[in-house]
Amino acid sequence: MFLNRLLSDREGSASRNMMLSAMIWGLLGMGAGLFAATEFSFPDLVHNVPQLSMPHLRMFHVNAVAIGWLSMAYMGAMFYMVPSLTKTKLWSERLGNLVMWGWNLMMIGAVGCMLNGFTEGREYAELPAVLDCMAVAALIAAAWNVYATVLNRRVKKLYVSLWYFLGALFWFPLVYIIGQRTFVALPGLNDAIIGWFYGHNILGMWFTIVGVGMMYYLLPRLTNNPLYSHGLSMLGFWGIALFYAPTGTHHVLQSPVPEWLKAIAVISSIFLLVPVFSALTNFFMTMKGKWQMMVTDLTLRFVLTSTVFYYITCIQGPFQATRWINWYLHFTQWVVGHAHLALLGAFSFISTAAIYYGLPRVTGRPWYSIGLIRAHYWLKTIGFTIMMLSLTTAGLIQSAGWAMGIPVDQWGLQIRPYWLIRAFSGVLIFAGQFIFCYNAYRSLYTPVKAVAPAKVQEVKV
Amino acid sequence: MNGYRLGATGVVATFFTIVTSTVLLPMVLFNPKPSGHGNDYSKTAVAKVSDPVRGRQIYIREGCVYCHTQFTRLQDRGYGPLVKAGDYVFETPHQLGTARNGPDLTNEGVKFPSEWQKAHLVQPRALKPGSIMPSFSFLSNRDMNDLVGYLQTLGNMRKVESFVEAPTEYKAALAKKTVDTAADASANAGRGIYTQNCAACHGMEGRGNGPNAISLLKKPANFTRPFYKQWQDDMWFFRITEGVPGTRMPRFGEVLSPEQRWYLVAYLKTLPTNNEQVVDSIEQLNPVDAIRLPKLSNQLWEPETGGSHGE
Repeated sequence: MFLNRLLSDREGSASRNMMLSAMIWGLLGMGAGLFAATEFSFPDLVHNVPQLSMPHLRMFHVNAVAIGWLSMAYMGAMFYMVPSLTKTKLWSERLGNLVMWGWNLMMIGAVGCMLNGFTEGREYAELPAVLDCMAVAALIAAAWNVYATVLNRRVKKLYVSLWYFLGALFWFPLVYIIGQRTFVALPGLNDAIIGWFYGHNILGMWFTIVGVGMMYYLLPRLTNNPLYSHGLSMLGFWGIALFYAPTGTHHVLQSPVPEWLKAIAVISSIFLLVPVFSALTNFFMTMKGKWQMMVTDLTLRFVLTSTVFYYITCIQGPFQATRWINWYLHFTQWVVGHAHLALLGAFSFISTAAIYYGLPRVTGRPWYSIGLIRAHYWLKTIGFTIMMLSLTTAGLIQSAGWAMGIPVDQWGLQIRPYWLIRAFSGVLIFAGQFIFCYNAYRSLYTPVKAVAPAKVQEVKV
Repeated sequence: MNGYRLGATGVVATFFTIVTSTVLLPMVLFNPKPSGHGNDYSKTAVAKVSDPVRGRQIYIREGCVYCHTQFTRLQDRGYGPLVKAGDYVFETPHQLGTARNGPDLTNEGVKFPSEWQKAHLVQPRALKPGSIMPSFSFLSNRDMNDLVGYLQTLGNMRKVESFVEAPTEYKAALAKKTVDTAADASANAGRGIYTQNCAACHGMEGRGNGPNAISLLKKPANFTRPFYKQWQDDMWFFRITEGVPGTRMPRFGEVLSPEQRWYLVAYLKTLPTNNEQVVDSIEQLNPVDAIRLPKLSNQLWEPETGGSHGE
């Protein structure tokens, strides 16, 4: 009985639990980010509390939003979208729920470790060995679940989203195992090469691929337009598969790593424009004739905002990776802005859209308030735009400082206003996420009678 | 994969080709020999006062890498010699870093006294007003000593092997000089010329802190830095004569006679060194004493006082 509650095999429960956990981790992660951002402006805010010092909060922030929020939202979305695309049930809801518990347990461990500084000292791969093993086991179980679902499919053709999901679930566990370097100690620069293989491919082989797959799923579903071109989407898929994985070294372009590796990284970074343009052409052509839906359909608005942010971040990326622009922009807040543009702008928005689309369909309960969805949208969009602009400006000031040889003490004072603006934008983003969680809580846990009448299947104004 | 065998093979094949070529191949082909300029942690003896190997673990634990990098680039003027591949052989896990919200720490060792470093960890803003570094006052005395010990080893082994030299025509000028630049009398003669022409920007003691310095975007040189101690006569003469492009340093060749410029060279060579303490190994480091900061109003960060260090 207890086991049945813990590992429910009710249809859609794995997806629902994953999405809800993701929202909580998102809230905590964004809260940690906000707190850290505040400490940039008020460095004497907290004293003698190691758990709340900026570096520890930053470690937790990165892990909570990337591994907690985005990855769980992705798995939750896949547990909903894959059965829907294959017209079958998820292979095992129990296994899905087990993955959900394992992942949550790992994240709880991560809170304790990151806030107390139990880190492996590798940026973006900080989690200690035990948590790494848990994550790998959970990823393999999730992949098994999705692959088995696809093998049971009742639709012969694989839709493009499935290509992306299946690719990601094959690549990401391997990238994670290679990139975490859990049980190996390599000499410094070799460590850096693998570290950036991981640091970039957690984006390339996981966040981008699943995110783009979800865009391919949601756009035709929401607009009822057929996908513009299947061929173009395949070009995008193989483009990412070929050109994303070797780009990692562009993060250490001016360090003494081998030149041939840097050359491969820069060239394939530029070639990434191919999958980006093919995917975006496909998205925007699919929208043909349905652009007015953006005004009324909030889920679609999230998707389109996400594609636009994806477009901007992917234009920035290849140019930042070239030697001459990297020379100027590296080591600055511009890069932090770019990272937020990808993970917060593009992929958090698409995860949010997937939850707004999927959660009512999984639980059968409509959203509690459309007004709150609209508030969430504007808080996140305005907050993020402010954050992006302030980080980019701060980054340009820092770049000029490094390039002109101006001491840190001097440009440090010049960017203080931008730290403050960044912290303020964090308040908006955190408020947006809080409203999101509150809305979900009211939709799921208040009696149906209290909910305003709305059509179950539609999230519309 | 019923009907998708080609696609699945492609996915697997592309991934493993890429992993082989960009992950495994560098591990096999890229094995830099230790340059002797990086820290060799296997050889560092555990010192009584502070243990830099443990200090490195504290550096990792406290996440210093999120704001401080450990590699110098060509354009990072003033951050010491450029790093080489062999410098990092013993750095595991690497602490190269990605963002600089603070200065680069590649060559941080012995730039500041240990007491300064320790006080800076406790309350950065007492020593660097406007700094946004968090206070690490929660570290224990031992942690703090070890961390400072580690910071003091950074870049100690990195030595400059070649310098920028004056153009060849100034080597010829060296042969024609009429002044003995090593003599005290010449330096004495140069002192007046320095006060009249240079002190407004470079300061009375040559520390680059003259009254004009505040309004200059590119700050005047601090002649007490060790960097200037290796300049030869011809390099000094070249710089005084030609000025420094891109800064407000004028071409004094237009104003001063060659003789006056040679007197100036003699004087500049007598300026003191900023930080006389040079440390080759951790054993020679000053013990980190319990620090006493000037009294400030905020009592929260009051450092541990009393007792001896490193218990």
